[in-house]
Amino acid sequence: MWTEKYRPRSLEDIVNQEEIVNRLKSFVKARNIPHCIFAGPPGTGKTTAALCLAHDLYGPGYHEYIMELNASDERGINVVRETVKTFARTKSIGEVPFKILILDEADNMTSDAQQALRRTMERYTEAARFILIANYSGRIIEPIQSRCAPFRFTYLPEEKIIERIKYIAEQEGLTITEDGIKAVIEIGGGDLRRTINVLQTAASTGKPIDEETVYSVVGRANPADVREMMITALNGDFIKARNKLRELLLKYGLAGSDILGQIHNEVFRLNIPDKWKVKIMEIIGETDYRLLQGSNEEIQLSALLARFVEAGEEIKRG
Amino acid sequence: MNIPWTLKYKPKTLSEVIGNEDAKKKILQWIKEWDAKPPKKKALLIYGPPGTGKTVTVEALANDLDMELVQSNASDYRTADAVQRFAGRSSRYGTLFGKKRLILFDELDGITGSADRGGLREITKIVKETGSPIILIANDAYNPRFSTLRRSCQLIEFKKPNKRQIIKLLSKICSLEGIYAEPDALKLIAERANGDVRSAINDLQALAQGRNRLTFEDAAWLSSRDQKEVIFNTLRRIFYAGSIRGALRAVNEADVDLDMLLEWIYENIPYHIKNPKELASAMNMLSLADLYRGRIATSQNWELMRYYVDFMSAGVATSWSRKSRGWTPFRFPSRIMSMSRSKAARGMLKEIGLRIGRRCHISADRAAKDVIPFLRVIFQNNPEMGASLAKWLGLDEEMMNFIASMRNNK
Repeated sequence: MWTEKYRPRSLEDIVNQEEIVNRLKSFVKARNIPHCIFAGPPGTGKTTAALCLAHDLYGPGYHEYIMELNASDERGINVVRETVKTFARTKSIGEVPFKILILDEADNMTSDAQQALRRTMERYTEAARFILIANYSGRIIEPIQSRCAPFRFTYLPEEKIIERIKYIAEQEGLTITEDGIKAVIEIGGGDLRRTINVLQTAASTGKPIDEETVYSVVGRANPADVREMMITALNGDFIKARNKLRELLLKYGLAGSDILGQIHNEVFRLNIPDKWKVKIMEIIGETDYRLLQGSNEEIQLSALLARFVEAGEEIKRG
Repeated sequence: MNIPWTLKYKPKTLSEVIGNEDAKKKILQWIKEWDAKPPKKKALLIYGPPGTGKTVTVEALANDLDMELVQSNASDYRTADAVQRFAGRSSRYGTLFGKKRLILFDELDGITGSADRGGLREITKIVKETGSPIILIANDAYNPRFSTLRRSCQLIEFKKPNKRQIIKLLSKICSLEGIYAEPDALKLIAERANGDVRSAINDLQALAQGRNRLTFEDAAWLSSRDQKEVIFNTLRRIFYAGSIRGALRAVNEADVDLDMLLEWIYENIPYHIKNPKELASAMNMLSLADLYRGRIATSQNWELMRYYVDFMSAGVATSWSRKSRGWTPFRFPSRIMSMSRSKAARGMLKEIGLRIGRRCHISADRAAKDVIPFLRVIFQNNPEMGASLAKWLGLDEEMMNFIASMRNNK
């Protein structure tokens, strides 16, 4: 995958997030790091920065000194009690006296697990440092936040993304047009991982990459039909829309929040009066909130679809 | 006529016992040793979860080798005296007609401290002195009570047979009974049995005996078989309740699993409540009910349960004007069926996601959203690039085929 092939190996190679990188470099120089929280949107270099930091600190064999866990895959408290603890309490044998635990998507941890983590962090500080990676630092409990140095990652500026696309295109010998670049960026939406995945998929056609190639591969990739599902509901067929929703959840394994994100993006492109777009947005926001607190994603999203059915009816009546 | 199928289809010979090939081989080896002289460990302790074939294996073995099987199980008294009476003699002397003897103490976990006083100690003694092979069966060999006994036994573990083996057995029984069973139905039964072959066969009999067809929906009913009427009645009272109180009472009086009831209501709302405004309102009530269920789960505050019940019953009941045109039957929750049907596929997707995640430093969820869809297009566009990516990601051919087939209908 090009996302991995072109992932910077060292802090030196990172061309963005300058301020953050400079601070991390000073940690390397001091051979010491605090517990950290890397917060920011997806595809802005959080995991990369953590891996590069480890690389610069321990050298190319850094894998021996770090452990990567993804809280979305193992979000329960037992991971903290077992895996994390075992890792944290064994001393490092290298010249740097501590190991690093990279906990990705930490904001997906249950609050129980976070409480357990807090104690583990305190107890084993000497032997292990934690880098917590999250989209929203607000979802990490206060006591952990106060023990960590915060780093805020922001979307990369467009010119930096263009630079990267051009660099990869050159390395891979691709032909890409200006509007092709624009399309890749538009779909990537500031997320560099997604941007590079789109680029690689477009490149797999073997054709010069222009706007059309990009949109056609993305159209084929999208399990989309999110739009179709919305229109089906607006046209009044709740049962059919519900079946589509179920397919997205079960067959494509999409998370409810991802589907809701796509719904949100699509609403403004729907062919309905502007007044309604805003009204619907209000309902989507409420659904987003209920998704977080509720227990069954399908029921929450279905309730939203039922509101679409209602809205569709009222729009028709004018 | 009405013999349990577990009996009717009990294995007669060792090869008919499904699964546990290793254990079977070891048992056979051990018993063969007796032909020369008693082995060092004169007893086997076979252990493992219920329904994995421990007892039937021993019975089939005795049958294969034409041995006389002397059995004692939990229904027998097993005090020291009783054990001595039962096995003391048998263990020392041969049989009348020169058949070899095999002594079986089944359900060892059932030997109780008080009623069977001294039983375990006596068994331990007999094991030391025996001239015939002794087999002991227990669920949990590591129970401290067995620690002395365990030392003089060779331990053999029985594991749960896998789903495929159980499905094969179930479909064999079906064909012998002249029943056509949907593969999905057998899969569901096997899944639910979770390695317990006995319960799988019992379930199959309960569902399929006396019929010539077994559908997935039949199988899905199993868990709430006797509740079908109760659920229908409750649904009727919620959807067509004259009052808030009637709807609430319907839930409180019915002894049904609330989460399951919510699924039933969810399934049936759009078939009964068609007016868009009313539909949206009823679904909103269900969403609120689910919201409280989530809050109960995170806060463990069970007091909130009443709101869960209120919204799903009274909330739905008052969402509409109850104008029913004709009789609409209630339907089985299709979400439950879809979940069950897609379980294997979701497991596969998760595994693929985890493998990609390991390589790309992301979660399985994110891989499903951000990588797998693109991978599928790459597989189509450029098989060569696809194959090398799959190799690098550690995806096998089955996984590649799975990804390729994810959207074949369009």
